[in-house]
Amino acid sequence: MPSIRYREALKQAMSEEMTRDERVFLLGEEVGHYQGAYKVSEGMLDKFGPKRVIDAPIAEAGFAGLGIGAAMVGLRPIIEFMTWNFSAVAFDQILCNAAKIRQMSGGQFTVPIVFRAPNGSAAQVGSQHSHAMEHFYAQIPGLKIIAPATPADAKGLLKTAIRDDNPVLCFESETLYSVKGEVPEDTEFLVPMGQANIARPGKDVTVIAWSRIVNVALDAAAKLEKEGIDVEVIDLRSLRPLDTDTLLTSVAKTHRAVVAGEGWPYGGVGAEIVDRIQRLAFDELDAPIERVQTMDVPMPYNAKLEQLVIPQAAGIMDAVKRSLYRA
Amino acid sequence: MAKLLEMPKLSPTMTEGQLTVWHKKEGDSVAVDDLLAEVETDKATMEFRSFDKGTLLKLLVPPDSLVQLGQPVAIIGEQGEDISKLVPTGGAAAPKQSGAAKNGEATEAQTAAASRPSAPPKATPDAPQPPTANATPNATGTGTATATPTPTATPTANAEGSMPSPDGRVRASPYVRKVARERSIDLSGVAGSGPHGRIVAHDLERAPALPSGRALATHAEADDVRPLSMMRKTIARRLTESKQTVPHFYLTIDVDAAPIARLREQINEDLAAGAPRSANGDAPAPLKVSVNDLLIKACAIALVRVPQCNASFTPEALVFHRRVDISVAVAVPDGLLTPVVRQADRKSVVTIAQEVRDLAARAKAKKLRPEEMSDGTFSISNLGMFGIDAFAAVINPPEGAILAVGKIRAEAVVWEGAVVAGQRLAMTLSCDHRVVDGAVGAKFLAELRSLVERPTQMLVL
Repeated sequence: MPSIRYREALKQAMSEEMTRDERVFLLGEEVGHYQGAYKVSEGMLDKFGPKRVIDAPIAEAGFAGLGIGAAMVGLRPIIEFMTWNFSAVAFDQILCNAAKIRQMSGGQFTVPIVFRAPNGSAAQVGSQHSHAMEHFYAQIPGLKIIAPATPADAKGLLKTAIRDDNPVLCFESETLYSVKGEVPEDTEFLVPMGQANIARPGKDVTVIAWSRIVNVALDAAAKLEKEGIDVEVIDLRSLRPLDTDTLLTSVAKTHRAVVAGEGWPYGGVGAEIVDRIQRLAFDELDAPIERVQTMDVPMPYNAKLEQLVIPQAAGIMDAVKRSLYRA
Repeated sequence: MAKLLEMPKLSPTMTEGQLTVWHKKEGDSVAVDDLLAEVETDKATMEFRSFDKGTLLKLLVPPDSLVQLGQPVAIIGEQGEDISKLVPTGGAAAPKQSGAAKNGEATEAQTAAASRPSAPPKATPDAPQPPTANATPNATGTGTATATPTPTATPTANAEGSMPSPDGRVRASPYVRKVARERSIDLSGVAGSGPHGRIVAHDLERAPALPSGRALATHAEADDVRPLSMMRKTIARRLTESKQTVPHFYLTIDVDAAPIARLREQINEDLAAGAPRSANGDAPAPLKVSVNDLLIKACAIALVRVPQCNASFTPEALVFHRRVDISVAVAVPDGLLTPVVRQADRKSVVTIAQEVRDLAARAKAKKLRPEEMSDGTFSISNLGMFGIDAFAAVINPPEGAILAVGKIRAEAVVWEGAVVAGQRLAMTLSCDHRVVDGAVGAKFLAELRSLVERPTQMLVL
């Protein structure tokens, strides 16, 4: 199985689906002539031509709405935002159109569209460009949210998303684009949504993460192994639908849970996971569920402060120990 | 200006109280001396009345809460006043724990991210057994749906914070409780290593002998476990203290009870015949005097005659009381109380009888005031009505002695060389040897015997 980068896995997914289904097209800023702001769509303009790889003006609300309209009349657009931060400009389109048209039209229209972009912190891009936007969108019924952590999942989940008849939002990461991993070449390689992956089996504590924090959690688990603590790391992969069963099965085994993810601690995906575990696995818990999140501040530009604010392996290790009453 | 209402001292020896019922609810207006709540203290159920007027803005403890003296229980102030500064965030009695949570709710997880200890866990409800439902991980069904399960009720503000409980409640993680249920482990014997003594899974591993050695009976044979009432705790504490620290010795006399029994009958006949009538001629139920009432009077006179027996031991000095206040043990539904007949030596038998009826009735209704049950100088405990011939009682500290009275026995006695029908009464005096010596106790009993066998002395003293 070839080892390729996360960005190449995404391109493979889009290219394979565009080859399979001529209704699929890519629309976004710099996706064509510039070969993608993060080179995810490199070579796609040459391969599919300007009718299917379309450069958009800097007008997120406009091209998000254009994509939704195209989806309503039978096409299957992939909308790339330069980053999820800029989707805030198009939030009304996603909240009120993409997520609502099917319900408001009484099922006359479906909106088979994918929005995708890098999300969360990068490297010193400042407070306005470091948002973890998945928490805002994960609250909305009518949307599906994926957040792949590995190149294989990036390909498999994005292909599933493109084939889904509902709006799907794909949360990538600038710091994951260059990460390499083995990815099946099979054009029918699909990863189902709503199915978490046990990235590392363990018996002492369950650490639940998604996107790039999965790697941070695996790093923490490797260090904790040297201290005799056996951590199970669960990669959620999908935030909505959320694979509650896998979480509960793991907690029934370890009796302790730590939720780690980018994004502010108030509410959000982490809080939702804590709620489900405490409610559905109350009798399994031996300790309060711990959370490791981005600190409750706007992201600092200063590199050292930025690293302090973002969840790190050391913070996850401390939380794991607290849940074991070893802190 | 809103203020915290704290648990007041409702009895002289109270350190904590069970707030059993609120008589006001949030939003009610309160006048000075309004009844706010009822509190079960170590002595009785007391009324907690307001010293302030205003609006009851918030109740900080639910009914049936064990509350420490001085612990805030409610907030009173003006309607609509901001009380956010007064609402305890981390549990009022655990101020050290509340620091992390004081800067606003959003900081809790933030502190976790910053690798500091997280805020204290929410206090669990008092129920000793959490519900058993939802133990299986597959209880959801939300795995594939896009809908989000509806969150259940949000916790109340005062559910925050956790403190070591003085009520002996077992703190254990939900998982430990589940394991304990499955393996019939009695958690009360397990030492918890978690915060506030919480029993965590690790602690069960360290107690491997538990499942077999301490297994409880099966459900059908399970014991009826009743939490200790305040009264039961007080009885346990005071009587244990008495038996462990007061050197008891016992003196028993067996007296001729025929004269006192005859006197009682005569008094009651006379009371019935001479009962005052009301203006419309209705006869009120005539008062009756019991042998116990006569014995209270007899003891009071005997104590006047032998004041060394009306005494208390203190580490510094012996205290000989100039007053004769006799505590009378009264059985109540879940224990016993000892209301005091004050200055019994100066009261008529009829007055004593009236007082004892009143005190006993209010003791059974738990309506005695603490001062009506404190500072006796001598006790009488009578189990005659329960058919007991003779027994020895435990001294009620700081009193120096207690008289245990049996029933009047009809039996053959020798009278002037002949066996005749007689009536006898056995009484045992328990003495605190630190203050009442054997000879003093004997002297008191000699006086008592004299009074009981020639009871008209009581009328002429």
